[in-house]
Amino acid sequence: MAAIEARPRTLISPAQLGRRRGKVTYWIVFGLTMTVFTLVFLGPLYWMITGGLKSTAEVIQSPPTPYPKDPSPETYGDAWDRLNLAKLLGNTLYYAFGALAFQLVLCVAAAYSLSKLRPVLGNVILGMMLATLMIPATVLIVPQYLTVIDVPLFERNLANSPWAIWLPSVTNAFNIFLLKRFFDSIPQELLDAASMDGASRIRTLWSVILPISRPILGVVSIFAIVNVWKDFLWPLLTLPDPDKQTLNVGIYSLSTGVSENVLIAAMTIASIPTLLIFLIFQRNIMSGLTAGGLKG
Amino acid sequence: MRSSGFRRTWTTAAIAAAFALTAAACGTSSTDEGGGSDPGSDAGKPLDKKAKVTISIDCMPTKTKDDELKGWNRDIKAFKKLYPNVTIKGKATDPCLEPPRFTAMLKAKSQPDVFYAYFTDRQQILDNDAAQDITPYVNNKTVPALGDISGNVLNDLKSDDKLYGLPREHYSMGLLVNRKLFKKAGLDPDKPPTTWEEVRSASKKIAGLGGGVNGFGIYSATNQGGWHFTASVYSRGGSVVTPDGKKAAFNDDTGKAVLQQLKDMRFKDESMGKTQLLKWGDLQKQMVSDKLGMFLAAPDDLNMMAQQLDAEYSRFGMGPIPGQKYTLTGGDAYYVKKGISPEKTKAAIAWLNFRFLSQGKGRFDWPKIKTDGLPVGLPQPDFWTGETRKKDDAAREKDATVPVENFQAFRDNPVPGKTEPAKAQEVYKILDVAMSTVLTNKNADVDKLLDTAEQQVNQVLANG
Amino acid sequence: MSAPALTRSEAPKGRPSGKHAAGPPAGRRREDIARSIRRNLSAHGFLIGAVLCFGFFSWYPMVREFLLAFQKNKNGVTTWVGWRNFEQVINDPAFWQAWRNTLLFTALALVLGFALPFLVAVLLNEFRHAQGYLRLLVYLPVMLPPVASVLLFKYFYDPGHGLFNAILGSVGLPEPEWLQSTDTAMLSVVIAATWMNMGSATLIYLASLQGIPGELYEAADLDGAGLWRKIWHVTIPQTRLILSLMFLMQIIATMQVFVEPFLLTGGAGPEGSTTTVVYLIYQYAFNFNNYGAAAALGLMLLLLLAGVSGAYARLNRSSGE
Repeated sequence: MAAIEARPRTLISPAQLGRRRGKVTYWIVFGLTMTVFTLVFLGPLYWMITGGLKSTAEVIQSPPTPYPKDPSPETYGDAWDRLNLAKLLGNTLYYAFGALAFQLVLCVAAAYSLSKLRPVLGNVILGMMLATLMIPATVLIVPQYLTVIDVPLFERNLANSPWAIWLPSVTNAFNIFLLKRFFDSIPQELLDAASMDGASRIRTLWSVILPISRPILGVVSIFAIVNVWKDFLWPLLTLPDPDKQTLNVGIYSLSTGVSENVLIAAMTIASIPTLLIFLIFQRNIMSGLTAGGLKG
Repeated sequence: MRSSGFRRTWTTAAIAAAFALTAAACGTSSTDEGGGSDPGSDAGKPLDKKAKVTISIDCMPTKTKDDELKGWNRDIKAFKKLYPNVTIKGKATDPCLEPPRFTAMLKAKSQPDVFYAYFTDRQQILDNDAAQDITPYVNNKTVPALGDISGNVLNDLKSDDKLYGLPREHYSMGLLVNRKLFKKAGLDPDKPPTTWEEVRSASKKIAGLGGGVNGFGIYSATNQGGWHFTASVYSRGGSVVTPDGKKAAFNDDTGKAVLQQLKDMRFKDESMGKTQLLKWGDLQKQMVSDKLGMFLAAPDDLNMMAQQLDAEYSRFGMGPIPGQKYTLTGGDAYYVKKGISPEKTKAAIAWLNFRFLSQGKGRFDWPKIKTDGLPVGLPQPDFWTGETRKKDDAAREKDATVPVENFQAFRDNPVPGKTEPAKAQEVYKILDVAMSTVLTNKNADVDKLLDTAEQQVNQVLANG
Repeated sequence: MSAPALTRSEAPKGRPSGKHAAGPPAGRRREDIARSIRRNLSAHGFLIGAVLCFGFFSWYPMVREFLLAFQKNKNGVTTWVGWRNFEQVINDPAFWQAWRNTLLFTALALVLGFALPFLVAVLLNEFRHAQGYLRLLVYLPVMLPPVASVLLFKYFYDPGHGLFNAILGSVGLPEPEWLQSTDTAMLSVVIAATWMNMGSATLIYLASLQGIPGELYEAADLDGAGLWRKIWHVTIPQTRLILSLMFLMQIIATMQVFVEPFLLTGGAGPEGSTTTVVYLIYQYAFNFNNYGAAAALGLMLLLLLAGVSGAYARLNRSSGE
């Protein structure tokens, strides 16, 4: 019970919890929540993983079986092979990390400029960028798509090329906003000291700002990757070539032509990379969402 | 101080320049292919064997279609021997065409040199200026069997007497049945129902087997509900749009009968199962797992079921479409991209001829297809006439792996074909609602649904 | 007033020489201007990449949306057609239905997707144990590829062999038709969407809850406030800013729902009951090849959302004073 004393005060007073009735209620509610949450959030994952091990007939059997009667792990191999998951996975990784690189370079540079260099019209530009947050991406999908297939001035068609994912990914006003906020909190004196030493701006950015900004860079990076990983409609439209598709789109396209258990196995495989990212970086993700996100 | 300032500006300029460069390098495909599309006088001559060209083509079988892929790869090899300087770059696609992907592709002009499309996409292809007139290239020398391709089929690929594509598949719809369930329910699998009343009673019997088995299934989502509605209306002798394509024509007794029967089968008989909003793939999967007795299909649905869902094809059979007035026919073809060089065009036609249009070769090389594990003996593709038809039919029969009697009823009762309506996708979208309603709402008002749909279709057709 | 601040406010103006003799000598001024130009050049240099991307892929498409809405493109020829696209869109019988469905979805999503995460956050914040584990659970679905999550729910909802009805049936509860009925289709879509997305909102609320000073609750205790009164008078007012911001974000996000209905019901749903505005836009553009109509409809949605955002900003300002 020492933990209770150490915690900051919340809704329920420690005194109330310390009483017998309080304790009982707490443990009942806690136990219920644990059970329900585990069922609601892990249950579907369990169903998905075991679904991939069942036979086709068993998957669509009514009522559903709680665990595979005759587990056949080869379904996973079959899914990997038939849906060409290696290729889809490779594509998605390529797009995601490319988008990350673009966002890290261009968004960081922009946020640095807006926060510390403060050019003329900087605030107007920032305002225009933030305004895009208020406009849902899907509403603009038609003109955006028409732009990508025939980029004005350059007269290039970016369809089926990774640029169709990478360049639009930079227009992430939220990331720029997060970065700028963070940079704003870096004391000017640090930069002044650096420029006294004759460091150029790019050097200051590189060796003063970026090292301090590791946490926020981590957060922005994860968002950048996850965004690409989760996107559906945009890659569906801009990457029509099946050799260039992402996991999401590839699985969707092929879902009609494979049996249920193979499809479920493919869904499981597709879920693994982001789940791994999440489990490894959960601390960064959580803190990024909260501290860096909307609180500051 | 000064020099540092200069350096700063310089760095900035470098960043800007670097970005400009990356931006300029963005495009991987240039919008203009260049190259004259003027066929010249020797367009009609077959491809020069020395010509060194590479052509890209989509709708190559994916790994999920492993059996078909074997044949494709074998043909690529054989073709390479014939034309060592021609390289065929296949793009695996499954499904070969998805409307949004297709629209996006045409709009972006990112279609491969030889691209796949349904017959019904002709207008959209022409509107987008996506395909070239291949009339000068196609003759008895380049496509020897040309004279034996059904004129109706070729007409579907022509506009103003100019030929734009070569057929790949041509089908007419029938009633696919699960022979095992038929037997179990005490029905004769060799005599599938030929009227809609018989469909209803058979469906009831099959659903009576229990265990989640449904008697009859039909699509009702992603614009495919409209497609199956159309097929059902045709089978009863009705039409979806007037012959001039200006008005809806389904709001009559035929249309009502179609919807009413589906509603009765779904709610009164409860022989269609609770799960609706089905689309392509769903019914095939149900049938393979012996949960479905019948659905409207083309013979090559069996191809998909055999190689993608690993079904044993002797378990299924086909009868003519119930009602037998008209059957919906359709097909798909390969078109040649506008703007590619005459040499490439010739290579494209040589390949299409080799794989898709030669009796006894490529996809008509039945002995080899048999060893690949694909069903042989299906009444599809169905576009040959005359001498070629005779030879091909005999060849199919000789190596048939699908028991002949399974498709006997379909073959013995040919039903006249009827093609899909104008503006099919938009019309189908509207009819989807009527279909999903009668299949999910037991209080659905058939008359009202048809009234609304008629009004809407008229509007779409009037919009031109 | 530090020196740099002074230069900053003065430099960008770059006015002609001062009227007062007390002003800096002309030479220094010129140097100032030159430095300011250099400074600005370099600052814009850092910005240019992002600005170009925004220009091409965000701002220009926005302008283009307006233009497209008044154009028609046939056989590569673009013509101005005035309000015809709008007329066509409004006359589409699916138009009002799509708006009704979208508003219904938004309303349901707000009840579930806005209230539920808040309640969960309040609950989790009280726990002295396993908070990390529970937070992890709630956020887990956010990390799954949406296609996988949605297809998963499609299997669960199946009235024939689905998990949900098997569970409900085994405990003797009525088995709804989920996606198969007009009455429940949209709700089913919302449930799936909430499961998929509630993690982010929950964590954000949780963080803001942890920022509430404990003394406020202690004071409320002294006043003898019960649980609900404490939530009403302390928790909600203290997190008002985040709540209202999330409310707006939620509206914007839900109004553009696409993937969930598209994959669950094929888009239209039973009797068209899950046809949303965005799905209609998609149909126009990519199934019917009618970009004008798609843009016209998109523009309407855009203006509506701009209105919502504007109203929000106003409300927030007036209540913030």
